[in-house]
Amino acid sequence: MADAAIEWEGPLGLEDELAQLRRGDLNALAALLARYQNRLYRYLLRLVRETSTAEDLFQQTWLRVAQKIRSYDSRRNFDAWLFSVARNLAIDHLRRHRPESLDEPLAFGETRAERTPAAGPDAFELLLARERTSLLMSALEKLPAIYREVLTLRFEEEMKIEEVAAVLDAPLSTVKTRLRRALEALRREFETAAPARDWQ
Amino acid sequence: MNEHDKIREMLPLSASEALEPGDARRIEQHVAGCAACAAELERWQKLTLGLRRLPTPQPSAELVERTRILAAEQFAAEADRRSSQFLAVSLLFVSWGVTLVSWPIVRLLSSGLLGWLGVDFYQTWLGLAGYTLLAWLTAGVAAALLGQRQRAAGRTL
Repeated sequence: MADAAIEWEGPLGLEDELAQLRRGDLNALAALLARYQNRLYRYLLRLVRETSTAEDLFQQTWLRVAQKIRSYDSRRNFDAWLFSVARNLAIDHLRRHRPESLDEPLAFGETRAERTPAAGPDAFELLLARERTSLLMSALEKLPAIYREVLTLRFEEEMKIEEVAAVLDAPLSTVKTRLRRALEALRREFETAAPARDWQ
Repeated sequence: MNEHDKIREMLPLSASEALEPGDARRIEQHVAGCAACAAELERWQKLTLGLRRLPTPQPSAELVERTRILAAEQFAAEADRRSSQFLAVSLLFVSWGVTLVSWPIVRLLSSGLLGWLGVDFYQTWLGLAGYTLLAWLTAGVAAALLGQRQRAAGRTL
């Protein structure tokens, strides 16, 4: 019973915030920003790979949201709408600064120092987990932007394939093909870096 | 391509939980009797699990606060723009209404003068058009002045 109540609270909260924002409540804007800040920032960072650019796009996305929220169709999935707004801004940026990056593999950039999960019962396990994460991040960063994007939407944002298709504005079949190719490319990169490594 | 190869090709999507129920059942049945494919599926599942467990980079508190302030300003500016538009349109309609209602009164009050000047039907309509234009112009200027005052008030907040 309690679980059901908790599950129901999430979507209702979002709808309330959106309704309040459309009525002009600025507190709802702050609440919405708090709700999506980590997910949106992660998506943008995976897409453009540079912290300063991701920060700039993060800011631009919320300015665009403030500007366009009244034209948002509440029957649409808000996550898909929000990530589409961010995606369009990121695409514009990538086209202006790196015209090849949407279709071709990008040159490998520096690995960002990021927090590692505190999983694992002892120091050795933690070290292994940290190393695996680091290798996987390196492999992910070597992929073209379109592959990084579909992987982060599916596995980090945990969007359904239909939601990913809505963000990318692409047919389901295209999303599935892109997802399969992205995973194959990621695995190749990972196995090149660590041929005999166990994933678990 | 035989069934085994087809299954192999679908394994990344199976690990992504992106298959149709029919295909998912095919995979399930196949890996139950094929150790090689079962091992391969496990490797894909470990890869996707690794992706799900990647650490989440977080925006700095300073960036979030700066964004919140800028977005709030943008939101207020949008509201202000819409309000100005609404005001301008409302004033136009009001002025149009006032024109229509007041025109007969003007005619009535000035009928002697118009008759003395010998104004004919065509000139009467010309007069109405001029009168309407004047009313619209007044409303437009009023809307512009009100909008300007609102924006100035917004800037001082």
